[in-house]
Amino acid sequence: MPISKQAVSRRSFLGMLSATAAAVGGSVSLLGSKTARAIRVVARPSAAQMQRLLAYYKTKPRWASWLVPELNVNDGWQRWMRTILNSKSLPIVHDNFSRIGTTIRQPHHWVMVIDERRCVGCQACVVACKDENNVPVGVYRTWVDVVEIGQMVPDPTGAIVTDHGRFTNNIKRSSMPLICNHCDHPPCVEVCPVKATFKRADGIVMIDYDLCIGCGYCIQACPYNARFFNPVQQTADKCTFCAHRVDRGLLPACVTSCPTHARVFGDKNDPTSEVSKLISTTPTTVLKEDLGTHPQVFYINREQEVYDKNSVKNTVYPYTANLNSTEYATLSGNAPLPGDTGGQR
Amino acid sequence: MPPTNYYGTGLEQGYWGLMIVTYPYISGLVAGSFVVATLSQLFGRKRLAPIAPLAAILSFALLLAAPLTIWGDARQPSRVYELLTRMHVPYSPMALFLLIWIAYVILMLVELYAVFRAGNAERAAWQSRSLKGKISSVLTLGVRDTSATSLRRDERIVRWTAGIGILLAFLFHGYIGFIFGSMKARALWSTPLMPVLFIVSAIVSGIALVQLVYLAVSKWYGWTIDREIVAELNAWLVGTILLDLYLDVVDLVTSGVRGYAPEETFEWFNRLYFHGPLIWTYFGLQLGIGIIIPLIALMTRRSRLSIVNSAIMAFFVLVGVYAMRWNVVAGGQMASKVTNDVVSYPIVGTGYDSVQTVVGVFAIALLLFLFFMWGAPWRTGVEQPSEGSGGSSGIASTAVPGASTVTEQEVQSTTQGIPLTPPLPGSNSPGTSNSFNRASNGEKELQSLYPSVTNTQTQRGRS
Ligand code: SF4
Ligand code: SF4
Repeated sequence: MPISKQAVSRRSFLGMLSATAAAVGGSVSLLGSKTARAIRVVARPSAAQMQRLLAYYKTKPRWASWLVPELNVNDGWQRWMRTILNSKSLPIVHDNFSRIGTTIRQPHHWVMVIDERRCVGCQACVVACKDENNVPVGVYRTWVDVVEIGQMVPDPTGAIVTDHGRFTNNIKRSSMPLICNHCDHPPCVEVCPVKATFKRADGIVMIDYDLCIGCGYCIQACPYNARFFNPVQQTADKCTFCAHRVDRGLLPACVTSCPTHARVFGDKNDPTSEVSKLISTTPTTVLKEDLGTHPQVFYINREQEVYDKNSVKNTVYPYTANLNSTEYATLSGNAPLPGDTGGQR
Repeated sequence: MPPTNYYGTGLEQGYWGLMIVTYPYISGLVAGSFVVATLSQLFGRKRLAPIAPLAAILSFALLLAAPLTIWGDARQPSRVYELLTRMHVPYSPMALFLLIWIAYVILMLVELYAVFRAGNAERAAWQSRSLKGKISSVLTLGVRDTSATSLRRDERIVRWTAGIGILLAFLFHGYIGFIFGSMKARALWSTPLMPVLFIVSAIVSGIALVQLVYLAVSKWYGWTIDREIVAELNAWLVGTILLDLYLDVVDLVTSGVRGYAPEETFEWFNRLYFHGPLIWTYFGLQLGIGIIIPLIALMTRRSRLSIVNSAIMAFFVLVGVYAMRWNVVAGGQMASKVTNDVVSYPIVGTGYDSVQTVVGVFAIALLLFLFFMWGAPWRTGVEQPSEGSGGSSGIASTAVPGASTVTEQEVQSTTQGIPLTPPLPGSNSPGTSNSFNRASNGEKELQSLYPSVTNTQTQRGRS
């Protein structure tokens, strides 16, 4: 991935930020000042320092999400080549996932919290992901369903006057970011016949593109439709939680690009991380809980109707979902949307 | 070249296309025709013995063609060897594929060797100069003995391989049902009924295919069709169709009734099969043409003896079972996992994963079958000129070139009994009329019946 101008500004920003953080009390930080890879981690803050840090966080909301995930220095962040941070030395499992965290030490547990109260459906994360990961046209590693729920209610006193009578608008728009859930018991990994896809000990589910035979079994087995065939490399593909960024102490691209901080990424093993606090203080749900996949993407204030098919009678506008981006033209013309349920447009 | 056809429109796509629809179909035919062969080899349905060799080579040809479907569907076909080197057993059902397939191929080779050894030995003796004879002599692996003891040994091998093979056939096909049935992500697939449904409909399709091939082959060579075989196959067909109907009804009731089914299953079953795009393939083809019409049309013994009726019904059943595969594979994927829309699942005409490739796979299976028909002495027993032209026995027919063009005579009465020609030794259980005679009365009677055998014996003595 070429280093863009943006990365440079990002780096200087990081430098600034970490300088501030260090001044506050030596918080964990990422300094990309020399090379992209070098990760300097100051020792884990003391309790008092942590308090001050948290106070700092409160005064300065992380609107742009540029802060790094909270890291534990004991996990060997400084010894890049030899430690867990190097994904090459990270244990991976193909089955028996309950080993992670029991017999296999789990250094981090990367999770994402998606706060739907904040999502405005701008699709910035979708674009950022495509940009970051070179996702081909027509497929998505993350996407945001924007749906309208409800209908126009006939109402003699309604404000909307049409030839067919007066109506009151009872439609709300809801948007729902979707992504691979990096399930703790991923059926997609278990079914791969050649062990091409795997779960890292830190929770990230990935695919080895050099081993995948392209059978499509994992794509069928994922209950969340998070996987797809990459039409360029002809293998299964999906979200990696931007493992290449996370391994270097950066946040996933979608998280950094979200203008409303609707996506929060972090280490669930770290009780002080923002995700841990969100999960412990806010009611969250996961998708299709009943399937026992133990998804690790948590939703706050999820619009039930958007996801549960049997109640989505009024979904009228699924826009990245089920629509090929090459066929966006049909949106402006008279051509019916594929699989249109006949709802109001 | 990367495939250029992509299904559907966007994120959710039916990635498993026509090739995967065909895969359980072909492997079902493999298992089904194998079961037909075992009916006589293992379960003592001696009337079906003459067609057992035919069913066996049919099964083998389809078995060799079966992996082409998934191989053609894989996006990285050059990496299939990983199925052996990186096998994810026992966690991934699909990982077992190559293992089961190889075991099955080996078993079939052993069985076919035993089934055709005697015939090969005789042909090698008679046509030692021709290409066929040379091939035959290689295929006997040096065992040219056609004495009663050796025939009995062949029979024993066949019985064992048939016994193991029927388990393997069920495994080979049942695990495909398990691949679908174990997928909890797909509401319409994840039912424990799936493996059973697949196996039963596989047997149904196998019987129909053997029926059709038997009729076609006999017509092609102008042999008399043994209506008892036709009737017996039809009887088995009716029985298994009834079982299939039962399972289909159970499936329908447990998935298509709101009160009995999980909501998601019901919603999609209802939307796709009752009101949606699959209504015709489900009610029209799978249930109507594949089950109800054959059941009615083969109800009476008279209708089961009718050749035209049997051929049409066998064809109908084959269509119905293909429709069942389509309904399962396509229907499961049409049910969207994350939206409320029916995923579009177009049929692609040419190119990757298309009608063209499916036709290609069937063509390869047909070519293999024709090749085996050319090579293997399978005619014994099936070949049945009318009684008037006696002397043309199965053995002689393999020996005498042109025996296949026996003049066609009057069609026999519908109650023609067991064929004059003894079935192949391996395909007959001990105690069946002719091979029993051969075994018990020894070579004397054999010689009087088949002068050709005498030559074989002398040749063996010489060599
Ligand atoms: S969301 Fe799908 S692809 Fe991601 S880990 Fe879970 S099952 Fe696998
Ligand atoms: S498509 Fe690739 S990663 Fe997925 S199950 Fe098949 S081989 Fe494994």
